[in-house]
Amino acid sequence: MLLPGFYDFCCRVRIVSGQNALEKIPAMLKKMKAHTPLVVTDKGVVGAGLVDVVRDAVGKELEIVNVFDNVPVDSDYKIVDEVAKIYRQKNCDSIIAIGGGSVIDTAKGANIVASLGGETLLDYEGFSAVKRKLNPLVVIPTTAGTGSEMTLVAVIADPDRKIKMLFVSYFILPDLAVLDPRMTKTLPDFLTASTAMDAMTHACEAYYCLEKNPLSDSFAMRAIKIISENLLKVVKNPADMEGRLALANASTMAGVAFSNSMVGLVHNLGHTIGAICHVPHGTAMSILLPYGMEYNMHRCGEIIGEILLPLAGPEVYAQTNKKERPEKVVELIRKMNNDLYEATGGRHSRYLNEITDKNGAQVVPESLLPVIAQATMQDGARMANPEECLPADAMLVLEHAWQGKPLDRSKVNKGGTKVKY
Amino acid sequence: MNINKYPEIHPGKKLFKRVYVAIMLWTVGKAIQVAAKVDKEVKEELAKLPDNFTLRMMVAPEKAFPLFFYAKTLPAFVVDKGLLFYGIQMILHKDKEGKIKYLGADPKGKKIDLNIVFKNIEAAWMVLSFQESTATAYMHDRFVVEGDLVHSLTFVRVLDIVEIFLLPKIIAKLAVKRYPKWAEMSPLRKFVKRVVIYIRAYTF
Repeated sequence: MLLPGFYDFCCRVRIVSGQNALEKIPAMLKKMKAHTPLVVTDKGVVGAGLVDVVRDAVGKELEIVNVFDNVPVDSDYKIVDEVAKIYRQKNCDSIIAIGGGSVIDTAKGANIVASLGGETLLDYEGFSAVKRKLNPLVVIPTTAGTGSEMTLVAVIADPDRKIKMLFVSYFILPDLAVLDPRMTKTLPDFLTASTAMDAMTHACEAYYCLEKNPLSDSFAMRAIKIISENLLKVVKNPADMEGRLALANASTMAGVAFSNSMVGLVHNLGHTIGAICHVPHGTAMSILLPYGMEYNMHRCGEIIGEILLPLAGPEVYAQTNKKERPEKVVELIRKMNNDLYEATGGRHSRYLNEITDKNGAQVVPESLLPVIAQATMQDGARMANPEECLPADAMLVLEHAWQGKPLDRSKVNKGGTKVKY
Repeated sequence: MNINKYPEIHPGKKLFKRVYVAIMLWTVGKAIQVAAKVDKEVKEELAKLPDNFTLRMMVAPEKAFPLFFYAKTLPAFVVDKGLLFYGIQMILHKDKEGKIKYLGADPKGKKIDLNIVFKNIEAAWMVLSFQESTATAYMHDRFVVEGDLVHSLTFVRVLDIVEIFLLPKIIAKLAVKRYPKWAEMSPLRKFVKRVVIYIRAYTF
């Protein structure tokens, strides 16, 4: 086992998981001395009737009156400021976030401004800028992927600068995460696929990136195992509630893992593609994960090879030569993407050139790749990647991921010393 | 109780490490100022920072350096020119025209936009004596960043390039994630810039 020279690990979110987990919310909010929550969600969640599911579950014990449902797909700080304003106007004392990554991050941001005061979230950007406890925040994820309910990071866009800003502090962590399969039951197959692959990316990157530590590793390994065993089953049979609960748990575990060990190149490129081309985060992650592993293979191939055990099981792991394990991991992730592509009728993209919008237009044009490559320098995830990634390196990865070719590893720039964890 | 009987106690140990770190911060500050003038890549990186931007790299606690008290008795220009280390800090400023200037180590009267704070002298020692690369130091939580994170990434990249210019390969390899190949940075560029930066940093 690899023991790093130093690490810190913190996971103080209370997790409630099960078929009737939602019913526990009123009692737990009461314990936190909160009585007037503001529900933060988006139109899709309201449209799918999930807010009503929560309302029915909490019953008369907790009245849900204040609902903000205007969170867009890529939330920005202006929305956050708006939510904080409503929070103050309605005299709320807590937030319940119902939704995916964007909604949860918006709620985290709004909680900062609403609890600490001030007019805008921009005042709190950076590492450890939030220095005291915030008001109660309950998170009910409706996708099994973001893991945002367990992270100390809020990623919020700045549309003026076209970047995604990071807000990092232990105080941002929610107080309670509620995992109930009713909340992911209506998720379409292609979204189930891409969000679960997002969780897979969190777990894999947490396992091989620079801030890896034994505690994160155990969460990551178990998350990879659960996803590889359940994902295809759930995509083929959406009513599989046990499988859905398993994926929700895996997503939360992957969230714990990457919140404490950070992520690397795949997220660096994924955040940037999301900010510039508005590609859904899960889609970018599932496409880029094998490329991220290939890019880092010369630096930490042995560690990537260990992922084969939870991914394929002990028989395959034992049968595969140690040197071939990292390549086998990449091969299996690609196979997983292919299987999901077939199971969703082509709606799960495998390459960047396959991503299309509702009108069938290409979302990532090849001409934008150099712009994306340059912008990767402004994303915090580049720090935790084992290998340096400059714009020319990012361009190499992006070109291959766009065309759908495996990365030509002979072209990757090498020259670093042994990775020090 | 007379509070004056209980003066604030400043740490006075580890003098060698403090002086070493202060000298390194001074060297890096001056080197970045020169590199911004002579190297295109550094210039392009620093162009990403907004104008009228002040950056500080320091070791906490702010007033821990023993010479701090003596510095107060000297004329202001001695400190302003960075001739005496006024606390273990390095302040860089980008003005309206985009010029980078090393502003010494006195933060008085300056609005700091980006503050990179080593948590203690040991953390700064580990990084500036190249026992830990910048990336490892970041992973090991050696410093706190106050301000726009994007700008700190720019600064880290500039720091990497300047370290490659200043240090021999055997040491620079410990400080950066990847030492550039000839195709990425020609040896001619590296050695010429190394000489120019050292001469200009230590002369004017």
